[in-house]
Amino acid sequence: MQDWITIVAAQTLSGLTNAMFLFLMASGLSLIFGVMRILNFAHGSFYMIGAYLAYELTQRAGGSGNLSFLFAALGSGLIVAALAVVIERVALRHLYGREPLAQLLFTYALVLAATDLVKLIWGTQQLSVSRPPALAGSIEIGPLFLPVYNLFIILLGLSVAIGIWAALKLTSFGRLIRAAALDREMLQLLGARVPYLFTGVFAFGAFLAGISGALVAPVTAIVPGMDAEVTMALFIIVVVGGLGSFWGTFVGSILYGIVLSFGILVMPRFSLFAVAALMAIVLIVKPTGLFGREVTR
Amino acid sequence: MHGSTIGTAVVTTTAHKLLKSIALAVTVALAAGNIGNEARAAEPIRIGFPMILSGPGAQFGSQILKGAEMYVAEVNAKGGVLGRKYELVPRDTKSRPDEAVRVARELVTRENVDFIVGTFTSGEGPAVSEIAKENKTVFLALGPKTDRLTAPDALHPYVFRISANTTTEGRAAAAIMAQWSTVKRVATIAPDFAYGRDASASFVAHLKKLRPDIEIVDQQWPKLNEVDYSPFVTAQMGSRPDAVFSVVCCGNFDTFAKQAGPLGYFKRLDGRFIGVAEAGSIEALRSLGSEYPTGIWGNTYDAFNWKPQDAAIAAAHADYTARLAKFTGQTPPSSWPIQGYLGMHVLTEAIKAANSIKADDVSKALKGLKIETPQGPMTMRPNDQQLTRGMVWGRPTMTPGQPFPLLEAAVYVDASPLMD
Repeated sequence: MQDWITIVAAQTLSGLTNAMFLFLMASGLSLIFGVMRILNFAHGSFYMIGAYLAYELTQRAGGSGNLSFLFAALGSGLIVAALAVVIERVALRHLYGREPLAQLLFTYALVLAATDLVKLIWGTQQLSVSRPPALAGSIEIGPLFLPVYNLFIILLGLSVAIGIWAALKLTSFGRLIRAAALDREMLQLLGARVPYLFTGVFAFGAFLAGISGALVAPVTAIVPGMDAEVTMALFIIVVVGGLGSFWGTFVGSILYGIVLSFGILVMPRFSLFAVAALMAIVLIVKPTGLFGREVTR
Repeated sequence: MHGSTIGTAVVTTTAHKLLKSIALAVTVALAAGNIGNEARAAEPIRIGFPMILSGPGAQFGSQILKGAEMYVAEVNAKGGVLGRKYELVPRDTKSRPDEAVRVARELVTRENVDFIVGTFTSGEGPAVSEIAKENKTVFLALGPKTDRLTAPDALHPYVFRISANTTTEGRAAAAIMAQWSTVKRVATIAPDFAYGRDASASFVAHLKKLRPDIEIVDQQWPKLNEVDYSPFVTAQMGSRPDAVFSVVCCGNFDTFAKQAGPLGYFKRLDGRFIGVAEAGSIEALRSLGSEYPTGIWGNTYDAFNWKPQDAAIAAAHADYTARLAKFTGQTPPSSWPIQGYLGMHVLTEAIKAANSIKADDVSKALKGLKIETPQGPMTMRPNDQQLTRGMVWGRPTMTPGQPFPLLEAAVYVDASPLMD
C-alpha cells in the first residue's frame, strides 16, 4: 500500500515538472497565436537558443554559482526576446494578413536557420550546464526523493501562470492584449498602436521560450536538434487545450505531463501512444480543444 | 612599379628552369622504361569514410575520423603501404541510414574509392553493407554494434566489423553482474531501437544462464534522444530492483544521469548499476563532471589511464595515448579515435598480407588476420568476420583536484570467450 503511494507521488511529481516546463513555453506560443494569429513553428528554436545561451552565459559568469545561473537564465530570456524583436520588425510583420501558409513557411525557415546557427557558433558537440548549488539537492520523505530543482520548476510554473493571468485580467496592457485577440481592426480604429503591441507580444513569448530553454539546460543535454522533440509536445498541448486559450494551455500541459508519466508506469512501451490518443479523443469530442472557441477573423 | 616587373621576370626565369629540370627528369624516367609503374605508385589508395559529422552523433564521429587521420598521417610519413600513400575521403552521413547509403554509393561509383571504412550507428552499418556487397568493395564497420550486421544471413565476403557487438557487450555486463551475490531483482533500461533491444536481450539471456535465481522485474524502453527520463526512472524504482543494466546511449547518458540522480536512483542502487554504450567514456565523464553518478560500472572503447598488466601492451598503449594527445591537441584525449585508428590498422595489415589492394585478395587476407594493437592482440575471426574487440570496463571515481571522475582500476574485458 505504502509502495503505491510512493509510486503515484513520484510519477505525479515528474509529470508535473515536465508539464510546467512545457507550460512556460506553450503559454508563449499560445499567446502569440491568440493575439497575432501566427502559429510560430520556431518557438522550439527560441527554446534551443535559450539553452545554448545559458551555457555560454554561465561559462562567462564563471561556472556554476547561484548568481551566475540567475544571470544566465534572465540573460538568455532577454537576448532571445531581443532576437525576436528583430525578426518581427524586419521580416514577420510583412507577412501579417498574408495566407497562413506563407507564415508557416517563414517560421519553418527560422527553425532551419536556428539549427545551423547554433552549429556554427557552438559546434555539434553536446554541452552541459550544472544545477545552481541552491537547487541541486533533494528532499527525502521516507522512500520518496523530491529533487529541489523539480519543486522549484513547479512553483515557478504556477507563479508564471498566475502572474500572466493577473496581468491579462487586471492591467490596461492586458486589456489591450485581450482586445487585440478579439478584434484587432477595431482596436486599431480606436487608436491603439497595434504594431507595437504585436512586437511586444512576440518578444514576450520568445522571452518565455528562451528562459525555459535556460531552465531546462541543467537537466538535459544541449545538442543541435533539441528543439524538435519539444515542438511536437507543444503542438499537442495547444491543440488539446485549445489554440489561443490561456487556461487551456495550462490544463493541456498538465494533462500531457501526467498522461505521459502514468502511461510509462502502466504500459511502458505505449506511453507515446497514450499522449497521441489523448489528442485524438479531444479532437473527436471537441475539435476546438478543451477551452477553445470558434475563431472568427 | 619598375621593381615589381623585375621581380616577375626573375620568378618566371626560375619557373622556366624548374619546368626544364622536370622535363629532363621525365625524359630520363621514360628512357628507363618504368614510367607506367612510377605513375601508378604515385596514385594514392583512396578510403571512403562515411561517418556522422553533423548532428548529435558528430561528437563521436568526428573523433573516430581523427583516429583514422592520425593513422593515415603516420603511415604516409613512412612512405605509405605497398609504396602508395593513403587518401581519406570523409563524407557526412548525417546519422541517417538513407544518407549513409547515398554517400557510400557516391564514394564507390563517383569517387572511385578502393575501400569503405566507417559508419557509426546500427542503422547505417547494415545499409552500407549492402552497397559493399553490390559493388564488391571491402567495408570495415567502425561503430555499429547490432548483431544483424554480421548475422549468418547478412554476411558476405566484403563486410568486416571493427566495433564490439551487442552479444559481447551484453554478455560482459551479465558476467560482471552475476558476481553480485546479493542481487535477486534486476531491471533494464534501454533506448527503443535495434541497439537497445539487442543488447538487453543478450544481457538478459546470459544473466539467466549464469544466475537462474535472478528475476527480471522491470524493463523500460524510452525512445532514442528522450528528453525527460524522470517518469521512466521513478516507474523503474517502483519495482524495487537491486541492480540495473542500462544501454542509454548516443549522448543521452548525460540527460539520464542528471535527471535520475536527484530522484535518488543511483543512491538506492548503491553502485549496482552497469551502463554499457560508453557510459564510462571520457566524454560522459567530462560532460557530467561532479554530477556523474560515481561508483557505477561503465564501459568505453579506450581510457587514457587504463593500465594493462602486460608490460609490452602497457608501453604500446601509453605510446598511442601520447601520440593521440599530440595529434589532436586534447589532454586527456578522446576515447573514440581508437576505432578509426584500429580500422585503418586492420586494413593496412590485410593489404600488406595480401600484397594487393584487390577486394577479393584483401577480403581473403582479412579472414583470420591477427594484429597487434595499442590494446593487445586481436583477431579478425574468419567465420563471422568480427574483430575480437573487447572493451574497457571500470568504476568512475572522483579524485581530489580533478574536475571530473576517472575510470579507476579499469580492466580490458576480452571479447573472445564471450562470442560463441
